Amino acid sequence: MSHPDTRPAIEFRNVSYRLNVQGKEGRELLHDLNLEVQRGETLVLLGRSGSGKTTTLKLINHLLAPTKGELLVDARPTREWDVIRLRRMIGYVIQEVGLFPHFTVERNIGLVPKIENWHADRIAKRVRELLQLVGLDPEISSRYPRELSGGQRQRVGVARALAADPPILLMDEPFGALDPITRAELQREFLALQKRLRKTVVFVTHDLREALLLGTRIALMEDGRLLTIQTPEEFPTCAEPLAAAYTNAFGAISEDP
Amino acid sequence: MNLWQFMLQNHTEVLELTLEHLWLVGISTLLAVLVGIPLGILITRWPALNKPVLGGANIIQTIPSLALFGFLLPAPWIGARADRLAILALALYALLPLIRNTYVGIKGVDRAVVEAGRGMGMTGRQLLFQVELPLALGVIIAGVRVATVISVGLATIAAAIGAGGLGEYIFRGLAMVNNQVILAGAIPAAAMALLADVSLGWLEKRLSPR
Amino acid sequence: MFQLAMPSIIEQMPRQTIIAILLLLTACGPSRENRIVVGSKNFTEQLILGEIIAQQIENKTHLPVERRFYLAGTYICHQAILGGRIDIYPEYTGTALTAVLKEKPSADREKVFAEVKTNYEKQFNLEVGQPFGFNDTFAIEIRGEDARKLGLETISQAAPYTPNWQAGFGYEFMERPDGYKGLAATYNLHFADNPRIMDLGLLTRALKDKQLDLIAGNATDGLIPALDLFVLKDDKHYFPPYEAVPIIRQETLTHHPEVKQALDDLAGTISDQDMRQLNYAVDGQHQDVKQVVREFLNKNQQ
Repeated sequence: MSHPDTRPAIEFRNVSYRLNVQGKEGRELLHDLNLEVQRGETLVLLGRSGSGKTTTLKLINHLLAPTKGELLVDARPTREWDVIRLRRMIGYVIQEVGLFPHFTVERNIGLVPKIENWHADRIAKRVRELLQLVGLDPEISSRYPRELSGGQRQRVGVARALAADPPILLMDEPFGALDPITRAELQREFLALQKRLRKTVVFVTHDLREALLLGTRIALMEDGRLLTIQTPEEFPTCAEPLAAAYTNAFGAISEDP
Repeated sequence: MNLWQFMLQNHTEVLELTLEHLWLVGISTLLAVLVGIPLGILITRWPALNKPVLGGANIIQTIPSLALFGFLLPAPWIGARADRLAILALALYALLPLIRNTYVGIKGVDRAVVEAGRGMGMTGRQLLFQVELPLALGVIIAGVRVATVISVGLATIAAAIGAGGLGEYIFRGLAMVNNQVILAGAIPAAAMALLADVSLGWLEKRLSPR
Repeated sequence: MFQLAMPSIIEQMPRQTIIAILLLLTACGPSRENRIVVGSKNFTEQLILGEIIAQQIENKTHLPVERRFYLAGTYICHQAILGGRIDIYPEYTGTALTAVLKEKPSADREKVFAEVKTNYEKQFNLEVGQPFGFNDTFAIEIRGEDARKLGLETISQAAPYTPNWQAGFGYEFMERPDGYKGLAATYNLHFADNPRIMDLGLLTRALKDKQLDLIAGNATDGLIPALDLFVLKDDKHYFPPYEAVPIIRQETLTHHPEVKQALDDLAGTISDQDMRQLNYAVDGQHQDVKQVVREFLNKNQQ
């Protein structure tokens, strides 16, 4: 019997996902995935478009359901979880951010606490904390998303995902839509945040540099299959052909954040 | 005596007919809202119902209004009272714009916003009431606007079956061959439609996300 | 429960405005206690009767009276009084029996009145007042010259000539159970062509101008003597009686019992002859309805 703290936070056991369009069987987007995500690590899913990395991510918070196999979160199959409960303990950050345009920054960040019926004071305090955490001026809380820059918006998105202090964070190419300078800023800040918070993070990207910078392990995917898992140190010298192709494509690699 | 003097002299009657007209339009639009918006929400959740619901509402719209009044006359309870009948017919006509605009409005909400909301653990009901409806409100109000303006016009025909309203002046003026009387009915009706259009248009703009 | 995240505009709208708007909408059902609204259908005799009722009430009770005339037909008047949009209007017992109560027509005057009175009270909460005194039954009219030439006095006598005649009737007469169908069956009328359907007002003209040979008009039509038209006798008593009576909302009588007295004073004061004269004054001589009625009521007081 393994100690609860050493059990993986997330475990994929022979998970497959096939599309089902209007009752007809479609393409298989994920095939026989076996993967463990340890508590406190940042697992990066790296791959090209169509590699199945976003599908994998969405299976974790049950936005999609496995068509074969079993997916365990906190040692329980997602099928057996109350989906709402599951999602509320998982922070979700997407590339388009998806802030509610009709909510102020404060209301956006306080969304999950609000639907979890936290006391108004507690929410306000938490929002202030989070704004500080992601490096935003507290006066921004009364603004609306349309008044913010792309970088500010994604910072709010991250703050929102962290609001109820979920143990797990899912991030789908969160910095992909930002300019390189802002992207670099946010990557640095994310690293600092992770050092403090130690969340279990699953991070999707197609950018090798980002993967090497942010990940504790990198899972390389292609065509719905997991090819290999490597640490950032091992990856550049990995013999797997696709990994090598990636390394070459990204040219000279600097480990220094 | 010009039209203005005529209307001043008969101001009680003009007011009474106007209020009757407002009543017909108000109640029928309210009914249509209470039925049409939930139906519109329903078909965003169950796409299979899309064709029958929208198709049905469409067919109702193609029936000429006077004919619809006529169809409903022999119906028990509904046909017994002309104002009941008129309100039902007007409500039926208002359904299509309301159902359709609710559907389009909700479907038109940014997919990323809905996905973020769902991913964070909002229930279907929370998503509907806190995200989708507020963001679709502008388009829905546009539907209410169209429905109301149509109703104001249709309600003038309701006088032909005895439901009262400003149409009564119009029909009376036709029987008397008196233009003033006709205009005393037609102009307030047109003004009502215009007012509804402008005020709901303003509301629509205010409620649309910028 | 649900919590609708309302846009700030609606949160800002003061409560008073919202309440005011709602009140305006709900206040639209008329609640006018102090006025009497008199309705009438849209032909001359009805306009005259409506005006008589209106002026009588004004004179005897000093209550303000509103006129809502030119309502286009029996159904519309009935709906209007049921809906409380009018308080009184003049109806005919035969029409009430067949078109509103949808009963079979009957020729017994007293029976018809009793039946209408009881049923209107029971089904609609409407009071049927005392008859004004004339019987505006359907008049089957032909040109005076034809009547004299062929020696016709009754409908039965005219029946054999119908294959050579063009008939004309109004909408209501064609559709009503006590209308054309029953008449043709009772008297064996066989017109070569289908009857033309025209507006009541145009029928008499068309008969005079020989576009029609037989029409169904009203017994009290003012133009009958003026245009030398002849009314054929209803020898088989097909047509039910059409005594003119006021129909009044019970509620109105409860609030204003003096109205009943004012209307009862009119009972039996208008004969067939009187009605024809009144009709002619307006239709034939183009006098103003209000004026004609004023003179008539003055004369009756003396």
